[in-house]
Amino acid sequence: MDKLKLPVLLLFLTLQVNALHAQQRHTIEIVGGARSIISNNNIKVRDSVPDTTTIKRNTGGYALIDLGVDVRPNKYVEILGMFRIRNDYGGFWGSGVSFDVRQLWLKGIIGNVVRYQVGDLNLKQTPFTLYNHHADRIDSLPAIFNLQNEIISYEKFYMDNTWRQQGVNVDFGLNFSKILKEIDFTGYMTRLNGTNFVTIPDRLMSGASVNIIQSRHVNFGYNGFWVFDVKGTVPDSSLYNNSVNTINLGYVTDFRNNMRLDCKAEFGWSKSVWSKDVDASQLKDYFIHAYATLNLPKQNLDFTLGYLNVGPDFRSIGAQSKDINYAAAPNYYNYYTNKQIARPLSVFDVVRNENIYNTSVSSNLMPSNPVYNNVLPYGLATFNIQGGYAKINYTYPEGIAVNFEEYVLSEIRGQGTNSLKLFTQSKLLAQFEINKLAHFSKRLKVNLGANYQTTWRSSDAAIEDVALNSLQFHAGIEFEFIKKMDLLLGFVGLFNKGNDFIPVRNSYSKVEYFEKVNYDLSQNYSGAGIRFRFLSDRIYLCALYQFNTYTDKQNTNPSYNLDQFALIFNMTF
Amino acid sequence: MKKIFLFALCITSLWSCRKDNSGFDGPSIKEMFGPFKMEEDFKASRDSVDFGNGETVLFTARFNKAIAWRITVTGQTSHAKKIITGLSKTIDTPAGIWNGSTTIFPMFRIENCVAVLSLDGVADSFQVATKIKSIKVNTGLVIADFENGFDPAWTKFVQTGADMDFNIKNDGYAPQGVKYLNMAGTVNWDWLIGMIDYPASAYGGGKTLPLPSNPDQVYFNCLIYGVPNTNESLVLFQFKEDEHATGNIDPNTNDEYDLQIHVNWTGWKLISVRYSDLPYLNNGQPAVPKGNNQHNPDKIGKISMLELADPSNGFASCKIDYLIFTSSPLEP
Repeated sequence: MDKLKLPVLLLFLTLQVNALHAQQRHTIEIVGGARSIISNNNIKVRDSVPDTTTIKRNTGGYALIDLGVDVRPNKYVEILGMFRIRNDYGGFWGSGVSFDVRQLWLKGIIGNVVRYQVGDLNLKQTPFTLYNHHADRIDSLPAIFNLQNEIISYEKFYMDNTWRQQGVNVDFGLNFSKILKEIDFTGYMTRLNGTNFVTIPDRLMSGASVNIIQSRHVNFGYNGFWVFDVKGTVPDSSLYNNSVNTINLGYVTDFRNNMRLDCKAEFGWSKSVWSKDVDASQLKDYFIHAYATLNLPKQNLDFTLGYLNVGPDFRSIGAQSKDINYAAAPNYYNYYTNKQIARPLSVFDVVRNENIYNTSVSSNLMPSNPVYNNVLPYGLATFNIQGGYAKINYTYPEGIAVNFEEYVLSEIRGQGTNSLKLFTQSKLLAQFEINKLAHFSKRLKVNLGANYQTTWRSSDAAIEDVALNSLQFHAGIEFEFIKKMDLLLGFVGLFNKGNDFIPVRNSYSKVEYFEKVNYDLSQNYSGAGIRFRFLSDRIYLCALYQFNTYTDKQNTNPSYNLDQFALIFNMTF
Repeated sequence: MKKIFLFALCITSLWSCRKDNSGFDGPSIKEMFGPFKMEEDFKASRDSVDFGNGETVLFTARFNKAIAWRITVTGQTSHAKKIITGLSKTIDTPAGIWNGSTTIFPMFRIENCVAVLSLDGVADSFQVATKIKSIKVNTGLVIADFENGFDPAWTKFVQTGADMDFNIKNDGYAPQGVKYLNMAGTVNWDWLIGMIDYPASAYGGGKTLPLPSNPDQVYFNCLIYGVPNTNESLVLFQFKEDEHATGNIDPNTNDEYDLQIHVNWTGWKLISVRYSDLPYLNNGQPAVPKGNNQHNPDKIGKISMLELADPSNGFASCKIDYLIFTSSPLEP
């Protein structure tokens, strides 16, 4: 059967190309991408007993092509179907070759009023309803690492903060001449999982937003998000229901010298219910998030002050699903040491391993990992947190962008004690486009960043005390030394030291246990490479070498080094 | 300015709505990671128990903190073991209930038992004694437990290989009762070592087995022993449906569903599978059944049990006991 796929595919392609010639250029387009990665990897285990069991080296890779046909039969309808052929290096005709449908959607407009899309959807609402926060990702990652990070985004359909879903989406807007300026409506319904007819019911996810623009100064709206099991799809089962309702307000006012104050707020409440399940009481809570941004255009500055209060029982699976699944197998040196224990994930995996990333929202609260984020593991939707933050953003038009933010937060309800944890996060990101500043044409970019997080709890009982500090910093250079050819250098460091108690939750997200952890962990991740850009940044060939050290001074897990040489060709069209 | 003030007032008034959050989530850390103390002794609710009449034993204990615990009940004659584990501050119903079932075979007999409670990170262990007056009864249709030898209605075929031993044994290995079927031998020209057909007529005289019609509520269970340091055996069960109840099963017009078990472990193991999950296998590969393509446990006309092994490997051996249909996975 597999042997038939390529001839069928070639026939299909031929038909498409003929159709392309036969019709107007704007009615059928071929879109997609192609990629080839080949890599040589090596692990060195720094255990007290030499590791003679783990296979240290592996070489592998793949080539793939995504071919999509974007058809616009008329001005009201657009259809896209995309399939993927992938061949693992070393595979040949049926062995290692896969053929998949990657995207399928249809969109259009009804009566010049209602826009709709069915099939694959990229959905996003607000940070508390449906939103992919990418909470553990390193912002402004050096280009040498970002290449692989962008491949993850492409593979998992991460477009800004969207989640990929399958279903239907409609939206339309109404304009008014008096009192109100505009009302926009959006609604969607998707299927999170199908039933197995025995224990797992059909689970649907839906949402609706109404945004009202009263004037240039005032806007407000309502957002609803619901996940529910469909009754009757399994016999006599407990049905899950998570609903989130929020109101958003916005007020903008201008001052002298073009200064602008932009005030925004969102508040709402959530409810999670498991019907029939006596072990789970329902969870209900609310949140408030408000901030004001003062924009000083003459000084190229923005100042933001914000307040955040998210209740301990606030649950929104659309906003609290993590993109990284720390429980997933990395499928890359899964086990190491002579005892073949599970290898702890490192920055190397977080940056470049697509196997640990999720495509869709998760119905269960996903575990967080304090090594990578101990302050806001679920982004702004992190529950049981209150406090304030401040941000300063400086953007110089000729190539300087500096952003600093400071969060000071605390728990609302204690975890295993009445004493509350206090959190701080200080983050600095800076990007300098030196070629623009020095007025030369070849690209020379430097980016720097640091994120310092603290978690602290002091209690009458010393055993309850918590003190955990994490510092992540990075630096990168992107230098075009020959036209279209860039030298890429980068470094990421991550250091964790201290203790904490990690809650172990049951399937209803209630804390059942605490795992006591002590960290004295340092990770260094460095890389160098040469990239050749073809016609645009979307087509490149890059040879890179990356080196990662994972050092656990507590020896909870043996330390290890990982290094990789990779050759990447990537293009999108 | 007035509007900004109103905006701020609106937000802060919501802030004041926060519900009471006194108390904390989860167990007390002070207790969890503080010193352990037994607050209520480890006890069994009965000195002796009649499992056959539905009685159970309830083990109870209480600690000063949530802790991982493990109760191991050991039969003093059979050496059967029941292991119950949990993580809690108290052991009580339902986690502490023992209904006479077994975790490590053989099954319990009428015998004295000792239950030992061990706790994670605690050096001391605690024990109580109880006596089994009658063993647990498993409700279901027993196809074979070999206690009464070969049923004359069964059909047995054994190859004429070397070291053939396709016999019922009573040598202390039986996980249930005292007898089991040994299946062993060397057949270097064929995968088949031996087989037994269990016709429906041996179970009530009808042309099909007296089972419910809903395949989701029928489980087939058996106990298989993997012999250490022996070539892998393959035990194949063929459930042959007689969809028209003719008494003569035509394989070209009736469904057959199969269970193929690679015996790649050592010791006794419970195999439990729902009838609706069984595929039809053609040369070991899933295929479309040849009848109505519906799992009909109430139309099973015959079960064939085959002991297979790779002929190039040589001697293969395994043991089997207690073939039983139940309405849920067998808890032996």
